[in-house]
Amino acid sequence: MNYLVKNILRLLIFVLAQGLIFGQLPFGYGIHPMIYPLFILMLPFDTRPVVLMLLAFIAGVGVDFFMNTFGLHASASVFIAYIRPGIFRQFAPRDGYDILKEPIAKDWGYPWFIKVSALTILLHHFWFFGLEYFKWSAWQEILTSTFLSSIITLTIFILIQVLFFKKSKNV
Amino acid sequence: MLKFIAFFRRFRVFLVFLILQIAALSSYFTVMSFPRTAFFNSSTAVTGTLLSWERDIVKYLYLDEANEKLQAENVLLEKRIADNFISIDTNTALINDTLRRLSFERTPATVINSSHTHANNYFTINAGSDKGIERKMGVVSSNGIVGIVYDVSENFAIVKSVLTTDINISAFINKSNAHGLIKYEGTNPRRVNLTGFSNDIEVEIGSKVLARGSGGYFPPGEPIGIVEKIEPVEGQPRWNIIVRLNQDMRKLRYVYVIKNIHKLELETLEKKIPELQ
Repeated sequence: MNYLVKNILRLLIFVLAQGLIFGQLPFGYGIHPMIYPLFILMLPFDTRPVVLMLLAFIAGVGVDFFMNTFGLHASASVFIAYIRPGIFRQFAPRDGYDILKEPIAKDWGYPWFIKVSALTILLHHFWFFGLEYFKWSAWQEILTSTFLSSIITLTIFILIQVLFFKKSKNV
Repeated sequence: MLKFIAFFRRFRVFLVFLILQIAALSSYFTVMSFPRTAFFNSSTAVTGTLLSWERDIVKYLYLDEANEKLQAENVLLEKRIADNFISIDTNTALINDTLRRLSFERTPATVINSSHTHANNYFTINAGSDKGIERKMGVVSSNGIVGIVYDVSENFAIVKSVLTTDINISAFINKSNAHGLIKYEGTNPRRVNLTGFSNDIEVEIGSKVLARGSGGYFPPGEPIGIVEKIEPVEGQPRWNIIVRLNQDMRKLRYVYVIKNIHKLELETLEKKIPELQ
């Protein structure tokens, strides 16, 4: 399938899944799983940084519509889109990336995927909860929320990879 | 020159990053400081519709809340039932009208913690002195009596369940009008014993056991259970009657606490009995 169509579909699915399912789950303990960063992670390797950020912004605004967060998700997702090339460089295999493949666990291995997504999720959640509380005195809440949500989000990421990306041609 | 272009490319990315961040965060912080001036919110038509579809799907998860509302409504309706009223003048108040005064008030509550496996069982309800709950008030479910309030805090109350060895609720059997005390043996949470029945009283299996209303805990005639088995007590001229409770105490969830408005009056009057004796 065409990369463009495929990624637009993914954008829609991730935003809807986040807004209608994962954002509504009452976990408690300050846990808010967020799955749309996976959409940003899985955009093709050769996406230009500006395009990456614009897409992240669109996804974030879409989630903001559902969650009544008025730009908080947009900000966090633009942030991870901005740092994504750096993270990928950090964990690049010895021969560099094959830009024809997608950045998914099936093509690059679960250790790589877990490392990359764990770092991305931690930064994303820290940015998000830091801005949400926005006080120094709430550092404990920020850290617990970041840490616990990151664990849940990472688990969901891995589950999505295991369940929906068996064949790399699947959407 | 090449370095300058590379620097500019990097700088351009950062510029876009900055612009998007300013857009997102200015929206966020404006809305946070001045609520309801929002552009990004779920009242927007599309997301609103999607969210209401989602509500339609998950509303089954919120049936508890709906139940509570219905329970409150039931209380309102039950206040109008004649059983809860006593007539002021038995000669004139033959029909159920405003001449009857409310005597028993019901407060809805939810059981939040309970046991049924011990010999003495207690359960906790989510209504306390804030809602006018006091010690020694009767507690019933929609099926029948379940206990008596044992202790009260501000927002919660502990109820001594009917499955307690010394509960001693006074009860009578529907047709014979003979009465005895309800006791719990501590073994089967579905069954209690009705004691104090002389063996010359005829008791039919299957007849209803109702609360007698002594002590003012329950309205007279509040159901308790059904006579299931009658055994003679060895060496004594008495029946041991096994009663199956109407309310399965293992499934208890919604209860009503009964406030007897005339309890004080009843107590002061009955205090004189020992003096008379």
